[in-house]
Formats: sequence, C-alpha cells, structure tokens
Amino acid sequence: MRVGSVTIGRSGDKGSTLDLTLVAVDDAAWNWLEPRLTTERAQQEISRVMPGTITRYPVPGLRALKFVIEDALPGGVYATLHAGLHWQKAAIWVLLDMELED
Amino acid sequence: MQKRVIGCGAGFAGDRTDPAVLLAASGMVDAIGLECLAERTLVPGLRSRKADPEAGADPRLKRRLTPLLPAAKANNCRIISNLGAANPRAAGRQIAQLASETGCSGLRIAAIIGDDVMTLSDHVDWQEPIDGTLLGAHAYLGAEAMREAVMDNADVIVTGRVADSALFSAELLPILPEGDLDPLAGATTIGHLLECSGQVTGGNFEMPDGSSLSAQEFAHLGFPLAHVYEDGSAEIELLDGAPGRVDILTCTLQLLYEVHDPSAYITPDATLDFTGVRFEEVGHNRVRVTGAKARGKPTLLKVSGFVEQPGFIVDIEIGYAGTYALRRGQVSADALRLRLENMFKPEDVRIDLVGVDSTLGASSLPAPNRMPEVRVHVSARCPDAETAMIVEDEVYSLTLSGPAGGGSVRSERRPSLAVVDGFIDRELVKTRTEWSVAP
Repeated sequence: MRVGSVTIGRSGDKGSTLDLTLVAVDDAAWNWLEPRLTTERAQQEISRVMPGTITRYPVPGLRALKFVIEDALPGGVYATLHAGLHWQKAAIWVLLDMELED
Repeated sequence: MQKRVIGCGAGFAGDRTDPAVLLAASGMVDAIGLECLAERTLVPGLRSRKADPEAGADPRLKRRLTPLLPAAKANNCRIISNLGAANPRAAGRQIAQLASETGCSGLRIAAIIGDDVMTLSDHVDWQEPIDGTLLGAHAYLGAEAMREAVMDNADVIVTGRVADSALFSAELLPILPEGDLDPLAGATTIGHLLECSGQVTGGNFEMPDGSSLSAQEFAHLGFPLAHVYEDGSAEIELLDGAPGRVDILTCTLQLLYEVHDPSAYITPDATLDFTGVRFEEVGHNRVRVTGAKARGKPTLLKVSGFVEQPGFIVDIEIGYAGTYALRRGQVSADALRLRLENMFKPEDVRIDLVGVDSTLGASSLPAPNRMPEVRVHVSARCPDAETAMIVEDEVYSLTLSGPAGGGSVRSERRPSLAVVDGFIDRELVKTRTEWSVAP
C-alpha cells in the first residue's frame, strides 16, 4: 500500500536539516504505518535522493511520524544544485510515494 | 478567563497583502502579527544598510502597510512585524512617516533594537567554520524583547530578527501569569501555528485522495486568527466567509512543521513539548488547542550568520519538444556530462531532466515513454564568473552541436551564500525599544 494513501505530509527545513512530517488520517492508518515505516526503511529510501542521517520521532498522541535528516541540504536551501530554489518543498513525496507491505 | 485575539497577516516576506487588511477591518482582532523575514531575506537589507544607514528595512514595507495602517488604526488593532529586517530603527521612522501620509497621525511605533549581534560575533559559538566573509550575525529574540512595547500599548511594533512565534505570543504577555512557563508555552505554540499564514488554513495541504481546496479558494485563502486565553489554550479559526479549512489535520501538520524533536522545540521564550498537544474541532473551521508544555527556558539564543563565499551557482536549462523529446533530452544530458564531468568535482555539478527527475532524483515516479516536452537542467558551483560563463556556453552550444531542436534556454546565476547557525549567551544580548510618533 502507498504511504500517501492513508497519510498527509509536509516538508520543512532549517539550515541544512530537512524535516518530513507524516500524519496518519485515523487510528487504523496509524496502526498500519507506525510499525512498518521504520528508521531503516525510511533511511533506505531517503538515501537514494539526498545525503544525511535520519532521526525518527513517533508522536502517537498526534498519530504523526517525524523524520529529521541532518545535512540533507548541504549549505542550506540557497546552496542547492537542484533546478530553481526550494526543491525540498516536494521532498515529502519520497515518503508519501513509498509502497509498504499491507 | 481573559483572552486576546491575534491574527496572522503574513507568513513570509512576499506573502499576500490583502488578508491582513481583511483581518484588521473585521474589528475582531487585537493584534496582527506579520512574519516577513526569512533567513536569507536579511542579506539584501544588510547590503543596502552598508551603503545608506537609513536603508535596510523590508523593501515591501510601504506596499504592505499603506492599506493596513488605516484599517488597523480604525479598529484599534496593533501591528507586530519583523518588517524592520536589517534596520528596525529606520523602519520605525519610515512607518511613522507613512502613518502620517495615510491619515494616521499620532500613531505610536516601537522599534525593537538588539538582534544585530555582529559586534558580538566573537562570543558566538558557531556550529560550522566561517568559511568566507561574515556579512551579518543576528540573534533570534523572544517575546520578552517586546514586553515594554506591548505594555506601553504601541500601535505598531517593528523588529528585526525575532522568533517567528514571538510576533504573535508578544501580544499575550499582559494577560499571561508570571512565574508559570506553561501558559507562555501555549501562547508560543499558537504563534507557531499561525506564523505560516495559509499553511494552517488549507494551503500547502493535500488529502490522501489528492483533493485540496479549489483554485477559487486558494486565490482568496483566508489567513488564521486565534482566540488565546490566559492559560495558553486557544481556538483557531477563519473570519466568517473566508475560504479555507481549519481542522485537526491542518493544525497537526502545521504544529510539527519545521520541528525537530517534538518533545523539545526550542524557542527563545521556552523549550516546548508538543507531544501532549491536543486538537478538538469545536465548530466549522474552528479548532481548540490545548496541552502545550514548557520544558524550561534556554540559556542560549540562536544566531544566524550569513557568509558570503566567492563564486556563483549557475542554474541553466535547455528545452526539447515534440516526438522523441524525452530521448533527445536524455542524449543532451549525457553529452553535457561528457563535456562537464572533468571540470567539476561530482558534488559540484548536477545534471537532470525537468519534468522527469529534477526534484526527487532516483525516487521519482517512472516517466512515461512519450512526453510532449522536457527540459535539461544543469547546476554547477563555479569558483568565478568565467567558469559560470563556460557552463552557460556549453549548454547553449547544444543548440548547434547537440540533439535536434534544443532551445528555450533559461539561466540564472546566484551568489554563493551560506547560512551558518551559532549560539550566544542570552545575557550578552541587550535589547531596547525606540519610539517614534507619526507627525
């Protein structure tokens, strides 16, 4: 199942750190997502796209997972070699488009 | 229970100007906070202040405040903004003048001075080496720096760098109990929820089925307001009839936006624990927020340093269209790799296809076989203007010596600028308030 079929998400940044938020839309979605989207699984996908190491913060009371990737944006968002500025606004789709086992 | 009502009038430097006027004209809000100063927004201000001591405030100050000042004055609504950018003192004088010109004589403006810590830069614990020329160093001040201005009932408070959330929580200082950090944590949390304007009212938001607000709603998106109580709880809502959505999902996503450890979000006024925050939908587009806790007050303030480095980033594209466009784009990109790969270290050049994989790289969805058009993109970190020109010329050269029909070339150069974080002992950062009155 696609992660984004039961969660919403948003990317943010501070300096060279990228942060990705996923919020499950209900309890069933949270119970499916939380055990499956582990640090290792997320790191595997993220590492195809950017440098940096993931720290994962589950927030069960808000049905949310935070992934914080230090040094994902070397030199900050203005030093990027992506086309134009602020590619990282779309980075959440790296997680939203992941397929995890049902 | 005492409360104050605060609205968000801007969430970044270039944000729309009309929503703030609607909020002020509604008569419902005691104060409007306008966040107009991103990390890098300070840099042009620092450059212009160097040439002219009266320059360095936000270049959009006049456009933003000309319609807002009269609406705010008529409705007894305070304006709190970091429009002062690199020169809050000069901004205070400019606003006094503008108030006079817009029929707001007598308006009292408080400029908050002290975020510029360039002269204290030796006392800053920089997290990375300063590799280049340090253009400026600014500490993130908290709501406390605005206490005198709020208590003395300034009509406009203009600052340089302050924590975004403080632009909103400052208004609550008169009603928050002293000696208990949790209510301040609550008010700061509301500030955090409001500070990105439309991001809590349905902007930058999509449901799992791909649905979102309509074009009509995005075009007229309402900005949020919050009824904040003395215990730090609040209700966030939209003006009656304003397009948008405020619900548990929009609030949860914004609560965690640009937060790292959700149990320890550091702001100058308090370290916030969001893990106990709860949202409750108490009406149409109205959400009650409770449960933020403080985990102490940091002894250090964050400092942003701007470091100018020699050279440029060159960012250039060439387009292909029609049958086999994707194949021509791929060949073109490969030809550029052959031309450029010996000139740069791998981490200093990036070549990809806009429309295919320029944003998400290897994680991109598969491209369809037939694409009506595609653009080849090259960015490279160049030590000097000559190198930048060579990269640009290599891309242009494909129009004659590359795959058929290359064109629609577009390019830009960006100066190399790094933002370096540091920390400073908050006791070293002295702030003060300078008053101006509109003649």
